[in-house]
Amino acid sequence: MAAFMEEALVEARRARDAGEVPVGCVFVHGNKVVARGGNEVNVHRNATRHAEFICIDAILASCREKRLPAKQLFSEITVVVTVEPCIMCSAALHTLGVKEIIFGCENDRFGGKTVVDVAAVVGQRIDITGGVRADEAMALLKEFYKGDNPAAPPQAKKKK
Amino acid sequence: MDIADPPPNKRARKSPILEQDITGIQAILSEEFDEDIALIKAHSCQLETKQQLQAVIQELSQKLPHFQHLKRVQDRSVLICPSSEIDVSNTLEQHLEQFAFSEHVLRALCHGVRVVEVPERMPRLRVQYEKTTQHWPCKFHPNHYSESLRNGTNFSSEQRIFHKRIAQLLVRLSRDVNAGRPVGICVDPRQPSIVSIAGARESPSPHEHCGMLLVDFVARSQEGGATKTELTFTEDSEEKETTLRGIPRAYYDYLRKDEDYKDLTFGAEKSRESKEVEQVQGADNLAKFGPYLCTGYDVYLLQEPCLMCSMALVHSRAKRVFFLRNSENGALATRFQLHSVRELNHHYEVFQFTTNEDKDLT
Repeated sequence: MAAFMEEALVEARRARDAGEVPVGCVFVHGNKVVARGGNEVNVHRNATRHAEFICIDAILASCREKRLPAKQLFSEITVVVTVEPCIMCSAALHTLGVKEIIFGCENDRFGGKTVVDVAAVVGQRIDITGGVRADEAMALLKEFYKGDNPAAPPQAKKKK
Repeated sequence: MDIADPPPNKRARKSPILEQDITGIQAILSEEFDEDIALIKAHSCQLETKQQLQAVIQELSQKLPHFQHLKRVQDRSVLICPSSEIDVSNTLEQHLEQFAFSEHVLRALCHGVRVVEVPERMPRLRVQYEKTTQHWPCKFHPNHYSESLRNGTNFSSEQRIFHKRIAQLLVRLSRDVNAGRPVGICVDPRQPSIVSIAGARESPSPHEHCGMLLVDFVARSQEGGATKTELTFTEDSEEKETTLRGIPRAYYDYLRKDEDYKDLTFGAEKSRESKEVEQVQGADNLAKFGPYLCTGYDVYLLQEPCLMCSMALVHSRAKRVFFLRNSENGALATRFQLHSVRELNHHYEVFQFTTNEDKDLT
């Protein structure tokens, strides 16, 4: 399953090229990618349009179209995402009851595992594995935020 | 943070709250404002004379810089370190050896040793201060605003009436326009003016909650929005400086016809075209930069938001969140207090409307 991280990274780069925070995600079902997406926050002016939600909505739309029960499908889906799902996405994925989550780098500001134990709040546990190609996922984020990183030392800022 | 069962008097209720039942507003303060501050065990010593004090304190503050939030000395008792710092197999003296105290200070520290209970952090409210200081004197910086949140004097009576009216509006819109399903309203508090209204649909997708729809409808007022919906939205007349595009037509028409709400203002400031920062003294980001997500906006919800929606409102940078009813999966009071999580990069204030029913229970 971790092999699908390359696909998620492709989506993250695509998001970056569109001027979005570079996070990408694919939903895998039976060894096949059934949904893919990157962040779409800026284009929609909606801070909830994270890569995971793009994929969730794609699945829901295709289930509606084919008149399939979404609940069953979600329980067989592995979520592969470049950055640890945030508290919001993690809550949604736990409530939907996906099979497992595989992520790249951690999110220490609002990760749905690192910062808050989402599983305990929602009352549903799912398998979560982190650290898959974390360096590449982190490098994309760092590159994106380097423009105005408030954490950067003042001297480095002056040089620009 | 503990994930608590809902307290008995705050269980999600099934019977609808009537407009006239809404009595007031109560701030839901984050956990650091909880009345009781936990106590921890600490080792203390008893000085024989006050003359020892200066030397002891000087060395302690260098070598064991604990208890920044406490006064280190009470009469002749001096706090040494949290008891948990001392290895169980060691005596205090053995523990202190590693810090190379001068001999007379070490002797003083090992005299009249007692274990005392001290508050683990600094009080933020006077009521906390009064409780904690009974155990050990602590430092305290009174904060007028925090106190006012607790005792409810943070709102002027005019503001209070406005918030209450919006809460009544939630009840009414849910009942009359949305078949009793949850409703949310987003308000720009500067005028105040209604930016957006959203109601949960009849058979929504699993994550299509009212809070999620509301932030997307606010995005519509900023020429964004991602949700596919059959709703028609209010259109703008050309000359207006504000936009009504975040308000579904059905709600707008209902309110325009309602005598009770005739004086309400509708519309959001339009996204600013220039990137120039408006120089307004003491202004918040909404005044300076113009609309961006829900920055500076207040969000009113009929139901306490779940964890997903609560975090969506953090991402959206809402200023304040008001809600009426507790939800079984609520993440601001019932199951969790998301606004207590310090790591988050944005924090909003949380308020709950009180009702007649709350009074009956106390």
